Amino acid sequence: MTPRKRLRAPLAILTVTGLALTAACTSGGADDGGGEDGGDGDDALSSLSIMAPYFAAVPPEEDDLIDQALSELTGVDLSVQWVPNTAYGERTNVVLAGDDIPDVMVIQGKTQAFVQTAEAGGFWDLTDYLRSGDYPNLVSENPDVEEASGVNGRVFGIYRARDVIRHCIILRADWLANLGLEQPQTTDELFEVARAFTEDDPDGNGQDDTYGFINPAWPGSIGSNSPYDALELWHGAGNLWTDEGGELVPSFTTDEWMEAVLYERDLVQNGYTNPDYATMDPATWNEPFVNGQGGIIIDVQSRAPQLVDLFREQDPENFESYVALVGQPEGPNGTFAMPTSGYSGFLAIPRSSVETEEQLEQVLTVLNDLTSTEAQILLNNGIEGDNFTVVDDYAEFNPDRQDFTDQVTGAWAQLGMNVAGYNAYSTRPETPFDEGLAQLRLDLQAEDLENAVFNPGASLVSDTYMSSGTQLDTLISDARIQFIAGQIDEAGLQDVIDRWHSQGGDQVIAEMNELYSELG
Amino acid sequence: MATLIEAQAASGASAATLRPQNRRNVRETLARYRWLLFLMLPGIIYFLLFRFWPMYGAQIAFRDYIPFLGIEGSPWVGWEHFETFFTNPDFPRLLRNTLILAALSLFIAFPLTIVMALLLNELRLNILKRTVQTLVYVPHFLSWTVVVSLTGLLFAIGNGPLWTLLNDVMGTETNFLADPAWFRPLIVLQDVWKNTGWGTIIFLAALAGVDQEQYEAAIIDGAGRWQRVWHITLPSIRSTIIVLLILQTGQILNTGFEQIYLMSNALNRTVADVFDTYVYFVGIQQGSYSYATAVGLAKAIVGVILIFGTNWLAKRFNQQGIF
Repeated sequence: MTPRKRLRAPLAILTVTGLALTAACTSGGADDGGGEDGGDGDDALSSLSIMAPYFAAVPPEEDDLIDQALSELTGVDLSVQWVPNTAYGERTNVVLAGDDIPDVMVIQGKTQAFVQTAEAGGFWDLTDYLRSGDYPNLVSENPDVEEASGVNGRVFGIYRARDVIRHCIILRADWLANLGLEQPQTTDELFEVARAFTEDDPDGNGQDDTYGFINPAWPGSIGSNSPYDALELWHGAGNLWTDEGGELVPSFTTDEWMEAVLYERDLVQNGYTNPDYATMDPATWNEPFVNGQGGIIIDVQSRAPQLVDLFREQDPENFESYVALVGQPEGPNGTFAMPTSGYSGFLAIPRSSVETEEQLEQVLTVLNDLTSTEAQILLNNGIEGDNFTVVDDYAEFNPDRQDFTDQVTGAWAQLGMNVAGYNAYSTRPETPFDEGLAQLRLDLQAEDLENAVFNPGASLVSDTYMSSGTQLDTLISDARIQFIAGQIDEAGLQDVIDRWHSQGGDQVIAEMNELYSELG
Repeated sequence: MATLIEAQAASGASAATLRPQNRRNVRETLARYRWLLFLMLPGIIYFLLFRFWPMYGAQIAFRDYIPFLGIEGSPWVGWEHFETFFTNPDFPRLLRNTLILAALSLFIAFPLTIVMALLLNELRLNILKRTVQTLVYVPHFLSWTVVVSLTGLLFAIGNGPLWTLLNDVMGTETNFLADPAWFRPLIVLQDVWKNTGWGTIIFLAALAGVDQEQYEAAIIDGAGRWQRVWHITLPSIRSTIIVLLILQTGQILNTGFEQIYLMSNALNRTVADVFDTYVYFVGIQQGSYSYATAVGLAKAIVGVILIFGTNWLAKRFNQQGIF
């Protein structure tokens, strides 16, 4: 080996190590510059990048048909960074910490990271822009929902609208018919149906092999739309927070909540609920219903057509006779209906990528265009004449273009805000029965909307809740299940509620009320 | 390694007199072993990039980390997160649950691995030995998700085979999956089922190195099977056992997140919450990154102390430690 060669090896080593270290430094280093648009300064945006989640098997490709149509419609080159929905939360945090921030981000919830970033000035405050009326498609038809999506009275994003009423009771219609029972209209009647479904042999096979309620192990804690939350709200406990004489109190400290939890305990202790309610996988929720083990599900309306489809496979002749959809019942203390939050995340605009007010106005104009009827049809239905045709004001999808339709409904629809109303086409129902079911859902939504109990603290963000809310909430939801299971008694449940108060709950109540009186 | 550190320490201690000479020594050493060092390079880069560089991020345990502000932009808060953790009412419960599970794994699962290795070693028919060995390795390759799903099926209320069998034998109606009293036995059972076979590999390798002549001599002296195991086999693999025990102790607080997370539910959470699930809970779900990092860091420090402690104990009892 010549001396010169001998010299080269260490040099190569140095270079490699040096490169590796530089790479490491830039990836974790400070965020200088604001991505591709950072250098442009005051210049108008020629392209717009959006980060959004997708549910489809494969995300749409860059510049696919919808992208082209939308870019043409809005006059800027749109590019979407698709992130799988399951990894979206993590990705959001990583992107916020990095230096390549998109111009618009779908934010799925008011997480600690988002709220802190927003309060530190990381996102544009859109409150006044949206109220100005300059962007007619972005003026919410439901200002309560817009306020609820904000942080302490300030709106940091344009929310993605969802049905306000989704909850209902789904029952085995054939079991009701076998036992000669009416559809339950009150919580007491519901209890009686659960008893009859358990004890009176609703399937007529002479065996004690059925139960009433099917409750899965709920992944969320309190106030997460679980069957328990619904039963408590129907008893009048309120929606997470209750306004008692101008003062916010947590719903689980009310007498109505206790009354509802006793009701739930009776359902379990009498065997009117599936025995594996504490461990059942929610993904298998439909199975006991279709297999004829249980007969009552409290969940969103869209589960009803799913169940109808399952019965359609099993018994194509009589599939119409199995599923009954009932609106939310009257409780012992009045009529209350559980609403959703009315939105599913929002589109926020980071200040590090959209730097000037001119650029912001431009982005808002694009978002306004994305909410026009024409854009809504592109986002939710696809391209007319390609993957769907319009029949009787319904969209009828072309089975040959199913892959494309899946990308529209499983990805592009995630950009839909529809705050001023949903104007795209609905899918054409298969049979008159399905059409009837769809109509029933709309009727029940209208009926229950009148009795909807909204969370008066939805828009308020308390610091203590941000840093320890998940732990506090889980304390209560675990104790609720333990009480229902008979592991702890009323005194034990009260002990846990006291612990909630002392471990930060009292502080949360104080902070919430301070914000409530400031903004209310 | 050790000499290098000592050399550096020495040069630091009395800098002026020793430094030039030491520097030459280091240079000579580097020159002499350059190709060995070159071979080590990928390993060194790996450790720098994936083991040391991430430690830079551990500083968020002492800051109030806000992703938008970045690591360096987030304000310092000192020991606040550690204080919150140690004064947290959940802390004693977490520590207790973690230690109990760790102790069960150390005193039940670990000895079982040795027993299994000894049993396999006593098999004389080679084809049988190989077959059994391969079969007991299989569970290791199943993910915890699969193992937990299997457990769920076996203990399903009403129709799970083990649920039926055990309840018939005991005359009870226990829901094993939700009963806090059954949580730990189930965890240990799963652990043993999944990992015992795999754990035997190193012991079997050590057993293969035992001098066969010793056995022959012992047989001639009239030693029975038990005596041979006790007086020849176990002493021969003693150092392997000690090394693995030390390593195991370092892992004591790593109770295994996946398994416990998947097995926990509202009814058994009082005994199921351990440090790892807690970190996930507050860090990922609640987004308190700094706090979760502080908890993880505290856990890692305890792990290091345990390793040094066991190593010291091992040396005290006249065994070889790992360093």
